[in-house]
Amino acid sequence: MATKTSPTHVHHDHTPGRPAWVMPLFIGLGLVIALVVLTQLFGRAVEKDVASYSAANASLGGILPVLLAVVVAALVPRGHAWNVRIPLGIIAGLFAMFIAKMWPSAALVITEGAEAPKESETILSWLIGLPLAGAIAILFLPRQAPRLLKATTFLVMLGTFAASLPLLATPMGSGYHFNQDVVWIERFGIHYHVALDGISLWLVILTTFVTPIAAYASFGPVNTRIKDWCFSLLLLEAAMIGAFVALDLFLFYVFWEMLLIPMYVIIGVWGGSNRIRASLKFFIYTMFGSLLMLAAILYAAYAYGKLTGTPSFDYFELQRVVFPQRVGTYLFWGFAASFLIKVPMFPVHTWLPDAHTEAPTAGSVILAAVLLKMGTYGYLRFCMGLFPEVSAEYAATLAGVAVLGGILYGALCAWRQDDVKRLVAYSSVAHLGYVMLGLFSQTQSGIEGAVLQMINHGMSTGLLFLLVGVIYDRRHTRQLDDFGGLAKVMPIYAALFVIASMASVGLPGTNGFVGEFMIIIGTFTSTKLGHVNGIQAVGAAIGVILAALYMLTAVQKMFFGPITRAENKHLQDMNAREILVVAPLVLAIFVIGVAPKLLLDSMHDAVARVSTDMNARVDAYKNYSGPMKLLPRRPDAPKAIAAATLAPGGSAPSNP
Amino acid sequence: MALAFVLSPFLVLSLGALLLMLAEALSPRKGGLALGTTVVFLAGFMFSVGAWLYGVEDVADKDVLAPWLVVDRFSIFFDGLLCLGGALAALLAGGYLREHDIERGEFYALLLFSTIGAMMVASAGDALIVFVGLETMSIGAYALTAFRRTSPRSAEGALKYFLLGSFAAALLLYGFALVYGATGHTDLAGIGQWIKENGSSPVLVIALVLILVGLVFKVSAVPFHMWTPDAYEGAPTPATTYMAAVVKCGGFAMLLRVLLTCFGDKASMSWSAGWPPALALISVLTMTVANLIAGQQESVKRMLAYSSIAHAGYLLVGVVATMRAPDAGASVLFYLLTYVVSTVGAFGALILCGRKGAEAVTYEDLAGIGRRHPAAALAFSLFLVSLAGIPPTAGFFGKWFVFRAAMDAGFYALTVIAFMNSVVGVYYYLRVLVFMYMREPAAGAPIATPMRSGYVNAALLLSAILVLLLGILPSRSLDMAIKAAGVFGG
Repeated sequence: MATKTSPTHVHHDHTPGRPAWVMPLFIGLGLVIALVVLTQLFGRAVEKDVASYSAANASLGGILPVLLAVVVAALVPRGHAWNVRIPLGIIAGLFAMFIAKMWPSAALVITEGAEAPKESETILSWLIGLPLAGAIAILFLPRQAPRLLKATTFLVMLGTFAASLPLLATPMGSGYHFNQDVVWIERFGIHYHVALDGISLWLVILTTFVTPIAAYASFGPVNTRIKDWCFSLLLLEAAMIGAFVALDLFLFYVFWEMLLIPMYVIIGVWGGSNRIRASLKFFIYTMFGSLLMLAAILYAAYAYGKLTGTPSFDYFELQRVVFPQRVGTYLFWGFAASFLIKVPMFPVHTWLPDAHTEAPTAGSVILAAVLLKMGTYGYLRFCMGLFPEVSAEYAATLAGVAVLGGILYGALCAWRQDDVKRLVAYSSVAHLGYVMLGLFSQTQSGIEGAVLQMINHGMSTGLLFLLVGVIYDRRHTRQLDDFGGLAKVMPIYAALFVIASMASVGLPGTNGFVGEFMIIIGTFTSTKLGHVNGIQAVGAAIGVILAALYMLTAVQKMFFGPITRAENKHLQDMNAREILVVAPLVLAIFVIGVAPKLLLDSMHDAVARVSTDMNARVDAYKNYSGPMKLLPRRPDAPKAIAAATLAPGGSAPSNP
Repeated sequence: MALAFVLSPFLVLSLGALLLMLAEALSPRKGGLALGTTVVFLAGFMFSVGAWLYGVEDVADKDVLAPWLVVDRFSIFFDGLLCLGGALAALLAGGYLREHDIERGEFYALLLFSTIGAMMVASAGDALIVFVGLETMSIGAYALTAFRRTSPRSAEGALKYFLLGSFAAALLLYGFALVYGATGHTDLAGIGQWIKENGSSPVLVIALVLILVGLVFKVSAVPFHMWTPDAYEGAPTPATTYMAAVVKCGGFAMLLRVLLTCFGDKASMSWSAGWPPALALISVLTMTVANLIAGQQESVKRMLAYSSIAHAGYLLVGVVATMRAPDAGASVLFYLLTYVVSTVGAFGALILCGRKGAEAVTYEDLAGIGRRHPAAALAFSLFLVSLAGIPPTAGFFGKWFVFRAAMDAGFYALTVIAFMNSVVGVYYYLRVLVFMYMREPAAGAPIATPMRSGYVNAALLLSAILVLLLGILPSRSLDMAIKAAGVFGG
């Protein structure tokens, strides 16, 4: 603790004559009894449903989380009040519950032989609609009541998170789930089509998980124009979820563009001194890419219309079209331009450091954790899904760019930064280079690692941005030279920062290690990268060393050595809000690091489907130059309203 | 009787305009004219909807008027669109003119009669009717531009507009005269028939060039746009709104009607021997020049003027695409619809942000509005986002359908240029948002305070609803546009 006791700590000092641990003990015991009774009741209910629910699982899913919650609540260092202990305990308990529920043996019980349970068709629409409705509700709340606005926003986000949890209960397999298809604009074959597979599942969960954290973190530092802030955050969340589940290209584009405005406002209104330039740069770069994508979408739909008579924007319908190599190349680059800017990949990455540096903490967190993943997800789903031949052709080249321009150049740039936030931003460029490399390798392990690394990067970089925000709120500077020796005055902060750095570097035991390892293995075993895959794997491995170099240099400069500045001597350690905000991310880092299987299991089959499909198409139609061709409809594509049932070119029947 | 019904938009507007003039002259009270005008416009709109639902195809005696006035789906679509634009402009005028103490009855009469001219152009079946309608529309617009008599800018804008406009009208007339000399017809259908049967000739080519110049002048395409920024800036803002919405729609109605009826044969619509390449060049110039200049403006009103030029460029892309794509004409009509509601909204929001003695004109005038008057700023943002073409607003679908049609017709380069231009456009639209939300007024500068007017609020609310409605559920109005454009035989 700080040498000088701060006023808040005095308040919680124990009364004389009673040891400090008595009170926690009583409350802890009470908590245990209450929760055990509750879980027993709950456990009984579960046992009736699933006969084979083993005793071990019951204890794992029932009592263990409760015990863990209590232990954590009791073990929190002295000086922290119950407003930290209880939520921390609950967070730990929830994580334990998550692990127990996701543990493979428990999940496998349901699938074998039995008929698949009926899936909700509307759950994804609820996930999009809840934040959207929240955003509209915010408009009608009084501007003068910031507490009400914050509470509404946070509750809506938590509600969305809770609503997204049932998604985890469905065994994913290789197919799509929660399919909903509604005709939107009949004449152009535009549908509202949403569905989820093992890949987008985790991105949706990531979104619903990180957004409330970012929002809660922002409620301290952001104190102007709360109404606009809450509105933007909710709108952003709706658009992000929408973009991850949309399987109609038109719908995807709508969500993709809808993201821009709130993010632009978030950077431009609550950002740093150079915010307007940064927000415009962000907007123009992204808009440029997305219009090229729009052109490609239009062409693809039009080509489909030419082949079948009715245009369609449906992902599964467009997937059937084999384009001649020349046309496919244009279309591929139309999509790829948009996604590679968003990722961002060298040389169009320059908007990212500016946007990150100027954005408020919550903006940076959402930008890094979710928005950048739109680029990688988009590349995986649309570029590789719709134009497999062309993406295979350019994979080797692009992988070279990812290694040199992303992993190595990004790392070197990060090393030379004086501003911590800029450093983290450049480290993002490097990390996303890994993700793209994994995708380009087109191997099971590479793609799986890439998807996992998308989640990992969300956790570790999100955490780093949150922590940078913590110190910025205290000192209003982010220059490395302004710090030094912080570990002495802010021990908790230092410990958490080191954990985040280790995750970012990829230390075994943390999540970053698993993802990067899988990607490097995938690259090394890939047969699609020409003859240089070995060199690329080595380059990626060197990137890990460079990551250690820049992260550890920063940690060393900030936390160790003597305290050089007088202002740093009396800094307060993290407060209750800040600890609670980072706790879930820290836990997630270790959970994924130790048991990546929890995530990999449900994405494995979907990734396998992506890579087999791709390889099959590449083998059959490499350098195809014949006329445009339509393949038969995939048997495993989710049921959609067939385009053929609509009268070709007919007007809406309701029109008089 | 049925004929009277399908002509009812005309009749209602004419009768209403005459009655309002009488009322203005005889009534001692001056208030209420704006409301009256709006009601007349809305009545015209409702009657257009009625005529649309009634259907014009089976009206027995409509051929009585046939050589002069054509009553078809196309003209009724434009009747409705022009009345809607007129109603919104009248509402804006009701708030603006009173606030700035220049409320006089002429404004509303000019508004109504000029709109009647535009409707005449849209349903013209004869070159002479085109000209009469065009002049009726334009003279009203010239007078509206000069309406702020005490302002030198208003006079300057009006004079420029008038002089250049007369030249353009003269060229158009000259072109028609040559066409008459070559074909012996003044009715558009007859001209089209003659050209189809006998092919083109050098005289006809010269005539076509002259007619094209006259036509694109009215839609203010580069290089015939010089008058636009001055006229738009000098005119009182409701008159600017009217010009940007109704006059531009009238211009496009004329463009489509004349080109597709007279010069709609295969040869004239071909890339090698017809008007499409010229129009394509004009559209590229229009988009690029207007967008580049718009980014340089310091005045929001002038920026919106250039933006309206740029939108004419996007629309021309659609017009060029009529050459091969069946849906292109419809996409132009739908774009006009989305453009009218967004641009009226944008000018209306600009009106709302100023007040007597302190009209909001420059970007600086808007600084800090987002913080002090969130509703006004939110409305302004919505319309700008729509003009920029970002979903889920009307403007996005407008652009989407036009670009789709262009792609359908195989104009890939043209489409890509249009896309690039949209990106440039985003820059200057967003600049308004930057000033509204992210800047504070400079020290000592007056702080913008929006005016209070039920008229303006009503206009903005109506436009905002339409922008969102067209942005989320465009199917129905798109079907209407397709039916309307169907009269040219695809």
